[in-house]
Amino acid sequence: MTALLNAGDGSRPLLMGNEAIARGALEAGMNLAAGYPGTPSSEILENLAKVAEARNLYVEWSTNEKVAMEVAAAASFAGLRSLCVMKQNGVNVASDFLLHLAGSGTRGGMVLVTCDDPGALSSVNEGESRHFARMIELPLLEPGDFQEAKDMTAWAFALSEELGTLVMLRSVTRMSHASGIVRLGKLPDRLPRAEFKSDGPMLDPDDGPVLSMPVAHKHGLQQGRIKKAREIFEASPFNTYEGPDRPELLVITSSACSLYSREAVHALGLGDRVGILKMGTTWPLPPNLLKTHLSRADRILVVEEVLPFLEDNVKVIAAEAAGEVGIKTFFGKSDGTIPAMGELSPDLVMEALCRILDVPLPAADLQYGKMAREAASLKAPQRGLAFCPGCPHRASYWNIRTALKLDDREGFVCGDIGCYTLDVFPGGAGTLKTLHSMGSGTGVASGFGKLGPFGLDRPILAVCGDSTFFHAAMPALVNAIHHRSNITVIVLDNSGTAMTGFQSHPGLCVNAMGQEMPDVDIAKICAAMGAKVEIRDPFDLAETQSTINRLMEDAEGVKVLILKQKCALSPEKRGIRQYNVHVDEALCIGEDCGCNRLCTRIFRCPALVWDKEKRRARVDEVLCAGCGVCAQICPQSAIRKEVA
Amino acid sequence: MGTLQLPRDPYNIIITGVGGQGNVMASRVLSGMLVNKGLTITIGETFGASQRGGSVMSHIRVSATGTWSPQIPKGKADVIVALEPAEALRVLAAYGHPGVIVLANTRPVYPVGVITGELSYPALEEIRASLEQLSSRLWLIEATDAAIRLGSPILANIVMIGALAGSGILPLTPEDFRAVMAETLSGEKLEVNRKAFAAGMDMTKP
Amino acid sequence: MAREIRGQKELREQVQDAGLCTGCGACVHLCPYQTFYHDRTIVLNPCDIQAGRCYAFCPRTPVDLEETRGLFSREAELTPEIGPVRAFRIVRAADARLREQAQHGGTVSALLSLALSEGLIDTAIVAEGRERFLHSGTAVREPGEVWKRGGSRFIVSPTVAEFNRAAADGGAGKIGVVATPCQVFALARMRLKPKLDSGRNPIDRLGLVIGLFCGFALSWSKLTALLERSVGLDAIRGMDIPPGEGVLEVYLEGGKRTFPMEEIRDCMREACQYCIDTTAEYADISVGSARLGGDWEETRTWNQVVVRSEAGAALLDLAKERGILEFRDVPAGNLDMLKAAAAEKKRAALKNLAEKSGRAEDLIYLDARDRVLAALMSEEGK
Repeated sequence: MTALLNAGDGSRPLLMGNEAIARGALEAGMNLAAGYPGTPSSEILENLAKVAEARNLYVEWSTNEKVAMEVAAAASFAGLRSLCVMKQNGVNVASDFLLHLAGSGTRGGMVLVTCDDPGALSSVNEGESRHFARMIELPLLEPGDFQEAKDMTAWAFALSEELGTLVMLRSVTRMSHASGIVRLGKLPDRLPRAEFKSDGPMLDPDDGPVLSMPVAHKHGLQQGRIKKAREIFEASPFNTYEGPDRPELLVITSSACSLYSREAVHALGLGDRVGILKMGTTWPLPPNLLKTHLSRADRILVVEEVLPFLEDNVKVIAAEAAGEVGIKTFFGKSDGTIPAMGELSPDLVMEALCRILDVPLPAADLQYGKMAREAASLKAPQRGLAFCPGCPHRASYWNIRTALKLDDREGFVCGDIGCYTLDVFPGGAGTLKTLHSMGSGTGVASGFGKLGPFGLDRPILAVCGDSTFFHAAMPALVNAIHHRSNITVIVLDNSGTAMTGFQSHPGLCVNAMGQEMPDVDIAKICAAMGAKVEIRDPFDLAETQSTINRLMEDAEGVKVLILKQKCALSPEKRGIRQYNVHVDEALCIGEDCGCNRLCTRIFRCPALVWDKEKRRARVDEVLCAGCGVCAQICPQSAIRKEVA
Repeated sequence: MGTLQLPRDPYNIIITGVGGQGNVMASRVLSGMLVNKGLTITIGETFGASQRGGSVMSHIRVSATGTWSPQIPKGKADVIVALEPAEALRVLAAYGHPGVIVLANTRPVYPVGVITGELSYPALEEIRASLEQLSSRLWLIEATDAAIRLGSPILANIVMIGALAGSGILPLTPEDFRAVMAETLSGEKLEVNRKAFAAGMDMTKP
Repeated sequence: MAREIRGQKELREQVQDAGLCTGCGACVHLCPYQTFYHDRTIVLNPCDIQAGRCYAFCPRTPVDLEETRGLFSREAELTPEIGPVRAFRIVRAADARLREQAQHGGTVSALLSLALSEGLIDTAIVAEGRERFLHSGTAVREPGEVWKRGGSRFIVSPTVAEFNRAAADGGAGKIGVVATPCQVFALARMRLKPKLDSGRNPIDRLGLVIGLFCGFALSWSKLTALLERSVGLDAIRGMDIPPGEGVLEVYLEGGKRTFPMEEIRDCMREACQYCIDTTAEYADISVGSARLGGDWEETRTWNQVVVRSEAGAALLDLAKERGILEFRDVPAGNLDMLKAAAAEKKRAALKNLAEKSGRAEDLIYLDARDRVLAALMSEEGK
């Protein structure tokens, strides 16, 4: 945080990629930032929110990415500089507005930062946002290191103003969540005034209304902007080349892959044979720059994540300029040299280089590798994802599963995105049977609920988190209610956007900057929509389970059950135990008939450990969060809880 | 700024553990100390969903020349600091080589599969045997126990960083540590962290 | 010959999934893995114990009947139709108010209250009505509590589950149970003390078993569906199956509705067609509605009682001594009539089991070589 407020004395702090992006926005004098939390993007807005007061910013976590874009666009229309931040699939949500924004153009500098997640390290997809730049005709920048993450972000605002359009800046997990040394620039001290000029002639870009119509005219303008961007990018310092004048192989790369490529060339000692063209401006590509480099090498390897975006676009230029640059041999995703799924690494690039140039991979100690892999497979048991100790979701799913079993009509749960997704993993209860995008559990359930006449006669449940409820579940819920879909929607309300680190949402009485705000009541919304609403504490197992059963047996319309209990990692709860929990060894019957390790075998809280020697359960005092739920399930009352 | 001679450039350190053990914090603190010595650091971190009981790993590239890939190439770790013993083995399988130095906490965190009884977790002696076989130098540190004595098991990460400093692999001093921690902490919190670092140093001092 | 004890998986395959589950509750409250909901036994979570109490105590896992018969002293005459018989009596509660609250003669309530007040037992497990005609077992400690819960049930109640629960609770003392034949059979299997790998047998808490005659029980879901369709559940005040009339009478706010037995039989619990026991053969004392002929209003105030064990005989003697029960002469042929009806149910069950397995010699949970069953089947063949 101190680094973000550093006056710009030339110091070189260690910054996380997301911090570097935030600093870049501050150096550009950005005034308003909006977004929706999503790994790996969240730290950008979090860091800006922390310095909002000091830097006179307005920062908000919007209800979803489309709204965030709209909020940020308003600032741009009023002449301010604004930033919008989201993860890759957030752009899908925002894309409808994005298309129209490209048509209308922007005024104050406006930048969309999207953080993609190649390899889906913390996503349920590895979607790519770069294709939106080409599809919607927006300029696209991709920083290749941490310094560029800052510098490019700052420049993107100026570029946006020069062109009159939104600029996309795309980061990836290995850039956003990695850290490096960044030389800081100066922070500006201007305080701009918001002024929305809208009374001028319809077609006046500065004083008229902000519209995407007349469409042909505005579309033409946007294409003109892209043409201008292409010219600007020809001379961009963010496109760099290192290597021999006439390389045997030209690597064209962008983003974190440029670091992998450099490392691979260095590790193989191929610096005098392989050249690396690192592209920072990846849409539209500057054709002359590309032609210059293409003409110097016959073989081209494109290294990028995830889909062949750069590769396809380079090939178009190579084809158009074939007369000038000659016929090239391309390596990349299309021919399978580089995988088109998952994230890349220096090792994958090394393998590709060795294959193309027919050089041997550096000899590894095979004996050691075999021994190490054997030791790991025998002695490092797989670490599956699980709900944390004290997690309300474990209790909620325990109740849901029990209710589904009692109901005995093969009921199932439709889910979506949040920590509660973990129900599908071995640590969960296994009740989730569909899992897609934000809010889609409720929408899919709404559809399942109409399949009765076709013979699908099973109870349908949906789960969604509190933040997800506002983000995208509300329209689906309205749909279910209006169409009398017989479903039970369970809102797993843990009072925060927990998976991404407790960002605020409209259900809380605080905003991103920590200011007090009116909280929007989920129960009242659902009741107003026409659903039957109940609220329970998931830690009260018997009461919650019987409520779920009662709601499932109610065949009339949409029921909403709000299971309210704060996340165990929430700032209010973290480190504070409600109960001290221990196992009374004299009462525990372990594997005997009558228990058979219910707590460790079935309940599966990481803080409950099976002591093999004693043949008794034990509470790990380091991990236990003190929720006391396990004491309710122990058939012997051997798990004891005392108020801490 | 000091001129520190690195055994190799880049010098590759991996800090590994389980979600919730303070892996990221440990990598920040260690990197902060190295940055203050004038070195260029690149950190690559794997967290996110893995906070929920999964493995967590930080790759720290220490260099006098510039920025490196946030992912260390396979078989190229120089030092592995493991906040959890089995995680040391997991990391060695991908990034180890005969010369690697390992410092590992002795306190296991059982994966959910072990808790359910589907998988088994080896005895510490079995892990020690493999770690000895797969490293050039090994320290097993009772870091969590030391941290509990200081009042909080979460301090185990700082004990481990202290142990790394005590081993003499890199010239890191209590003053270096204090300088970094004082940027964000003060008073009692700074003091207990300082004690944790010192406790770790004592465990590996030659 | 002891049968092999298996675990939850086999219990599920052989009993629950096979339509043999009586809903007696013997596998419930022994552990957290099975429970009872509405009128079904539910497996909540998998248990991999190889030899479990759930399997050992279930009245529908393979059984050696000869072993079970050995539980009773030789003083009782062993009849093939209704099991051990020490005495056969026609009785009713002396207290008319008790008869009023009960379905028939109030004998069960009277005997149970007596056992409680005399300290023969500390806790009594009786069926209790819940919402929407569901039942559960409930543990009571006061005679007055027994009175409130008189009346026949036509839907199974997991009474043995409540016995298991009360037995595990240290404070219950000696427990008396009012039980249907399948429930009595489950308790008998506990009394055989099967050799278990682990887990305590709750049987040492059992003080008294009062058996109830039972022709069959109804499936809750089927019956409520029928009643909801025909009269609406909210309008119903009570029900009875008067002997010999072949109908279910449903008492409504302003009158009654009569359902012919064919319609009601469709609502029968599947497991009941495989039951060979009408009179709760392994109880200490079994009680049913009397069949006296003549005036039904008079008949319905009397019970017929089969005394089987020493404890049952002692309780009936005590009731007589204290004037708790009134006795009257047993009409000639009354016992034979009961035996004939019981034998008919046994033969039907054996036939149904053989049909289910597809082989005459495979009676699923019963052994076709058992001397009593073999005799019944050979009569059938004639």
